[in-house]
Amino acid sequence: LKFVEEFRDPRLGRVLAGRILAAVEPGRHYKVMEVCGGHTHAIYRYGIDDLLPENVELVHGPGCPVCVIPMGRVDDAIAISREPGVIFTCFGDMMRVPGSEATLLDARAAGADVRTVYSPLDALRIARENPEREVVFLAVGFETTAPSTALTLRRAREEGIDNFSCVCNHVTILPPLKALLDSPGFELDGFIGPGHVATVIGARPFEFVPRAYGRPLVISGFEPLDVMQSILMVLGQLAEGRREVENQYNRVVPEDGNPAALEVMADVFELRPHFEWRGLGFVSQSALRISDRYAEFDAEHRFPVPGVRVADPKACQCGEVLKGAIKPWECKVFGTACTPERAIGTCMVSSEGACAAYYNFGRVRRERVSV
Amino acid sequence: VSEELEPRCITCGDLAEEVAIVALEPAGLACCRTDAGRETTVDIGLIAEPEVGDRVLVHAGAAIAKLAPTPERSG
Repeated sequence: LKFVEEFRDPRLGRVLAGRILAAVEPGRHYKVMEVCGGHTHAIYRYGIDDLLPENVELVHGPGCPVCVIPMGRVDDAIAISREPGVIFTCFGDMMRVPGSEATLLDARAAGADVRTVYSPLDALRIARENPEREVVFLAVGFETTAPSTALTLRRAREEGIDNFSCVCNHVTILPPLKALLDSPGFELDGFIGPGHVATVIGARPFEFVPRAYGRPLVISGFEPLDVMQSILMVLGQLAEGRREVENQYNRVVPEDGNPAALEVMADVFELRPHFEWRGLGFVSQSALRISDRYAEFDAEHRFPVPGVRVADPKACQCGEVLKGAIKPWECKVFGTACTPERAIGTCMVSSEGACAAYYNFGRVRRERVSV
Repeated sequence: VSEELEPRCITCGDLAEEVAIVALEPAGLACCRTDAGRETTVDIGLIAEPEVGDRVLVHAGAAIAKLAPTPERSG
């Protein structure tokens, strides 16, 4: 396959659906987690779950970086945005993530200078154009986005731009995976692994999943046929008694990742001893902070931040959704008090969030045939 | 609705954009074009030996991987 439409070919999709059906052991229930929000989005956008038998259940993982940001970190960002002279920049989705009392959008309506950017490079350009102002970038994302932030901080230093800083909320995918696998009562048969994170870190770091936990993991692309083939590969491993990391997305993911990206991340960032994840609580060494070598670009050093831990609203069940314990439509406020227009929980804010994917594509409980 | 106009997460979400390098610029930057024709400035500092015409995977303004060349379409 060479062109994107070929990865969306309905005829090949039907062939793969038939092969998935043939690979299922009758009467057995399979739970497969897609770790990444991009896969969740693809599954509902293309209706992949409707092509699966009832007993192949897809469980949505914690791979949406917006969804896992706890409310206290949003409060910290809002506090910085209200500092005099600050231009606060962030990705569009972060504008609507609720803090304990407000969103960044609310802060902007109240007079703070909060601007949407598409990349940290855009934020640096704003800093270059406004030397009399302090420009702060809210850095969010997994190992896919962290290299861009790291490159930008290196660029800021090389150009001597001293009115630029970052609030670093970059997270790493492996520790929460391990935390999920260690959760009591956590039952899963296998994983669809995050393709673009693996582009940066490579396939090898995922080896602990089959070795230590006996679960297959297939690194997957994001087109519908990619995801279906990956589901088939997981089922194939289970049928054959194999437990290994397989790379379905080898047209993009090199075995060793991107060494240059790993180098710049190691230079600019350090692991935080622990970081709070929505739904998972504090997870050791699961996030990045700006290293001492780049401390002058750390907004948390430059500005006072409250740093207060805030419990999620009681009605919100994002934590259970992020752990795959419930489906979005099982949340008490799904589609009623919590909608993409006025979200209570983070999973409804980002279009990669499981709740938003269910809401936007009309997914509620559906009857399917079990084999 | 075109790909460009669809609602999509612009943070990680692990969705990246495939673009072609149109022109190399100073300081590790490049002008790149999406399949929909939109031009954007991309940091190509993480790509080994980038050349005009290379297709790269871009995430948050930085190219993180070079893609295999796509053959010319026939017909």
